[in-house]
Amino acid sequence: MFFEENSVIEDKAKKDFDQLDAELIDKFRKNEINVDEIVKNLEKIYKDEILECSDKNCPSDDQIFAQCYHQLVHSSSLQEILVKEQDYAPKISSLVLKMEKELSSLNEMHQEVMDTKINLLDVETTPDDINDLLKQQYSSSNLMRKQFESELEAKRGHQKNEYREWVTSRMSQKFLDSPTTAIGNKSSMFPNIHKTADRREESFTIHLGSQLKSTHNIRILSADIIDLCSPLVNENSESMINGNIQLGIYSSSLCGVVCLVPSASAFQVMANQKIIRNASLSTEFHFSQIDEQLDQIQHDLKSSGETRLKPGDFFITKHSNLSQCHLIFHLVCDDSTNEMNSRHPCIMGLRSILKVANRYDCTQLTIPALLKNEMSEEMTLSWCMRRAELVLKCTKGFMIESSSTGSELSTLQLLLPADISEELFTSISQMIPSIFRVANTKFL
Amino acid sequence: MSPAVSKINSQLSAFTFIAKLWQNEAVSSNGLPLTANSISIFGRFQILKSFRNDNLTQYLNIERGKHERTIVISEYYGSSLNETSNKNIQYENILKIFYQCMTGLSFIHNNDIVHHNLEPSNVLIDEWHNVKLFNYGFYYMTRGDEDCEEYVTFPIGSNIRYIAPERILGNNGNPKSDVWSLGMIIAELVFGISLWTNLKFPIIARKILSYCTTTGSVLEKIARDHNCLEVYNNLNSDFKDLLESCLAVESKNRPTCHEILNSSIFIHHQESIAFKVHKKGIRELAPMERLEISQIYYLWQLTGGDVHSELKKEGLIRSEAPILTVPRLVLLQSSKSMPNYKSQSSLFDQRVVILNTKNLSDRLALIPKRAFYPLLHCPRLPYNFGAEMRNLPLVIRERNIEYQFYRVVLFSRLLKGYPYTRDLIIEEAKKDIPPFLRGKIWAALLNVIPTGRYEKVDKVTPNQTDRQIEVDIPRCHQYDELLSSPTGHYKLKRLLKAWVTSHPQYVYWQGLDSLTAPFLVTNFNDEETAFLSLYNFIPKYLHNFFLKDNSIIIKEYLTKFSQLVTFHEPALSKHLNTISFIPELFAIPWVLTMFSHVFPLHKILHLWDRLLIGDSSYPLFIGVAILKQLKSTLREAGFNECILLFSDLPDIIMDTCVIAADEMYEKTPKSICHRKHVWRTEELEIFDITNIELSDIQKEISPRISANNLIYLLKEKPNQVVVFDLRPQNDYKRWHIRGSINLPYTNLMLSDRRLESINVERNTLQDKVVVVISVSHDNASLFADFLVDCEISMVSILHNSINTLHSILPSNLFGT
Repeated sequence: MFFEENSVIEDKAKKDFDQLDAELIDKFRKNEINVDEIVKNLEKIYKDEILECSDKNCPSDDQIFAQCYHQLVHSSSLQEILVKEQDYAPKISSLVLKMEKELSSLNEMHQEVMDTKINLLDVETTPDDINDLLKQQYSSSNLMRKQFESELEAKRGHQKNEYREWVTSRMSQKFLDSPTTAIGNKSSMFPNIHKTADRREESFTIHLGSQLKSTHNIRILSADIIDLCSPLVNENSESMINGNIQLGIYSSSLCGVVCLVPSASAFQVMANQKIIRNASLSTEFHFSQIDEQLDQIQHDLKSSGETRLKPGDFFITKHSNLSQCHLIFHLVCDDSTNEMNSRHPCIMGLRSILKVANRYDCTQLTIPALLKNEMSEEMTLSWCMRRAELVLKCTKGFMIESSSTGSELSTLQLLLPADISEELFTSISQMIPSIFRVANTKFL
Repeated sequence: MSPAVSKINSQLSAFTFIAKLWQNEAVSSNGLPLTANSISIFGRFQILKSFRNDNLTQYLNIERGKHERTIVISEYYGSSLNETSNKNIQYENILKIFYQCMTGLSFIHNNDIVHHNLEPSNVLIDEWHNVKLFNYGFYYMTRGDEDCEEYVTFPIGSNIRYIAPERILGNNGNPKSDVWSLGMIIAELVFGISLWTNLKFPIIARKILSYCTTTGSVLEKIARDHNCLEVYNNLNSDFKDLLESCLAVESKNRPTCHEILNSSIFIHHQESIAFKVHKKGIRELAPMERLEISQIYYLWQLTGGDVHSELKKEGLIRSEAPILTVPRLVLLQSSKSMPNYKSQSSLFDQRVVILNTKNLSDRLALIPKRAFYPLLHCPRLPYNFGAEMRNLPLVIRERNIEYQFYRVVLFSRLLKGYPYTRDLIIEEAKKDIPPFLRGKIWAALLNVIPTGRYEKVDKVTPNQTDRQIEVDIPRCHQYDELLSSPTGHYKLKRLLKAWVTSHPQYVYWQGLDSLTAPFLVTNFNDEETAFLSLYNFIPKYLHNFFLKDNSIIIKEYLTKFSQLVTFHEPALSKHLNTISFIPELFAIPWVLTMFSHVFPLHKILHLWDRLLIGDSSYPLFIGVAILKQLKSTLREAGFNECILLFSDLPDIIMDTCVIAADEMYEKTPKSICHRKHVWRTEELEIFDITNIELSDIQKEISPRISANNLIYLLKEKPNQVVVFDLRPQNDYKRWHIRGSINLPYTNLMLSDRRLESINVERNTLQDKVVVVISVSHDNASLFADFLVDCEISMVSILHNSINTLHSILPSNLFGT
């Protein structure tokens, strides 16, 4: 042994615990400590954190149903469930279509009447008359809408009850009849993409990490976000739903889509209208209907102490009746700033989404790679390249960051606007191998 | 005599909890992501594994699951105090319990750890009233060093009855709080009661606090509360005084564990109250009882033991569908998310699950009894159990319970005899190294003998390398739980600083962190062994690489590397030379970190298992083996593709790589790898390679071979060597090596780069060391280049001209 001894002992301050305790007890004796509060807080923390001390709650109805459904859907009953849902859907969608049709014809009629009135303005009619008519028309169309909506609500409620009861009874029957088949916790991960003619996509397998590498999939595609959130039961197609969404609802591999929304006025949340419509075309058997969910979110917003949603904030809706997602992350994105950097609130919002996705086992996530829903004039080629590079690089960073906490994204989908040019699509997809490490071939 | 089947006292157990989840947090001060709390716990837990005391159960392992799920595996012993009846425990036995609890407590207090989790369910006793404290490190592992930063959200000490008043008021960390808790437990035993069974939480808390504001004996008040005044009054007065002092309201009036252990009551009864179990004869022991508990746990895992599924079976890990708890609204700036579900399954469930070891004991029962105690120096009895499995692939051997059992038992024995058994250890390590004992075996291979002097090396004083170390550590193998924990960072820093201070002649080069990492992970609780392993490793493999100016050493190394590539892979070498893809472009981090920077840890461990058996030249062969594995890609790649390929080394299969390296290492004469800058233990002699400069070898594509090595080959392995003698025919006729081929240089037409042009059959050179000898070294060199161009492998040039050979060539090797 050659090294020299040159001892320097690290000094750790030793607390004088006895002294500290004595001071504390002294304070307590002098009544300087609020005992009630201490005991109350202590009781609360024991109650909130330790199972033995907590109030034992029974699992909620949702949890019980979730368990039932998850077992049932992973048994031979899958087909039955799908047929059931397939049967229910048209009853709602036809009613929705009927409502839309009648409302629009009513509105047309109103318009005509209004036009004639306006033409006669100052001849036969006064502005007051017009206002009255407007009021009257509004209330009549409103009435009609209300009637339809209440009918829809009743129908949906009825369907939902019937369906949930049916699932529960099916389950108990199953339980008596025979042991269920093995239950996998993963849903099969073949997203049901309905190939459309103009859709472009490309897939990559990438590695993250310098020494120990984790493998992920990246798919880049150009499509309208609505295609990813299309109604599960297609109104005009006879094809069966393939069951991927159903298999995955209560699994630990959820699919999520990030959807950009504008910042709305105070205490409002605004979701994409087309998505709302798609989600309304059939009964949501597992969660609240989308408009109820949005109401609840507005309520949350009010109680949060904030007045309005700012860029980077997001709200989440849950779905079981859309084609490719269980979760929609509605990210508030400010369109005014065209130049972004990595500290921009929207990017930070994206980071936050990836974290939430990770924490709640959302293993497939679709993000708009340009943070734009569609192409516009000012989105030049170089602008798009810069933006895509920013989003991709930041996403990579966030993926590395969150991979240290265990669970991770298995598939990242990068969504480009449907109307993107062939050339731009190719350039952006060529960017992926330079930013992410594409898997090398394995040498055997 | 029939073997008695009695209950085994020590068992494997597990409990689980969820570490505090970071909310939508920012990044930490150094710009890196925050360390997950479960990782911090993981790091702090490690030291607990090293605690050995009769009155403590042994901690065995910690595992992490998804979403901060943390599982601790520990020894469990007998049954807990709250499962056994409190009533009618004799005074003698209470004294025994009291004393042994104190002994356990005193041990952890001496290690600067407070229990804070002391309650009857954590006091385990056996049929003779021996005590082992359970889960005494819970508070320690879940609290950080700085400001007692908390890694979990729940309080430690889930039974309020036993918590000292100062802790209820919020002061934690005083070892004497444990003395109070123990006092309460003993009071229960003495009175034969359970404290305040019908009272609600707040009332109990207030009751304990009320002791602070009133005077008089706490013990007496408890007795009064539970109608035991009579027992109280009849207590042995010494004992009563001792117990009352434990329950002093102010901690300063409580004795320390040390003081209690030295009280007269205990001193008088020392004999009868110490930890003693009925020792079984060797024949009575069940197979499991012949092993240490840590070995049992290791083998249990190999029998397919899976603690996650055992906990799931018992309902301790319940999973709720994640979609039910997803928040609805997440605000960026206030990092608020709503609603915040706290699901029942994330609460701390303090139940302990005993792991099922039936599988393991069944497997162990099949193992011959003699294998538990192998005799090493008794030629009559074999100790090579499991030899028939030796040819299975390494991954299979490492997962085979029987095989690992034999290896662990054998190496444990050998290590006990170290350093006297070092030769045997090396022999056995050549077969394979059991992962369970890797750190210790490595240390033995590296001749490490701990002396306690590491303690005295300065690891604290700030110096100019600190900044670089601070930058490197949080980037060093951070996927690894140990190395990414604050404890890991702390230890790595100490090791690096200690290395730097003990080598004033060297500087800190980036890469030293990677080099240290494997030693730290294999000796996490034994910094000294880690340090000494590194200390001995560097001169052996990286002599002088850490000089401030190491350019000559690196150049020499890389030149030798090039030569070896040519030696074993002439075609590949030719291609790389053509595209100018030189080792300087990719091999520096390989060399400087002995590959520890380019591979993930689990691969490095397997790589170093072999490396440590080889000499300083072995790493060169690993480098060649890596190239060999990538050969097909490299041969088709241009310069740019090669750069890209090596910027992120593809998945190298370590097993294949090591086997290839071994093979080449065996085939290559030692002098082929000669480097000047090697740490030598033996002097070179005249017929080895000496007096050779970097400038010389830089000119040569093929390596030189020493006269000694050539003669050795000629004598011992004549079929594996071919000698080309380039002298003129007359000289050759005068004397030559038997069997050598004479190709007078002057007659050679080397412009025709085909082997046929010199009338030599390719297959006569296959798999043989080809030695070119000549009077003129330059001629030899040119001819060697020609052979390489013809893609002949293992071409070498005799160092110093042929004339040296004449004087030492044994007469029977002269040809006629």
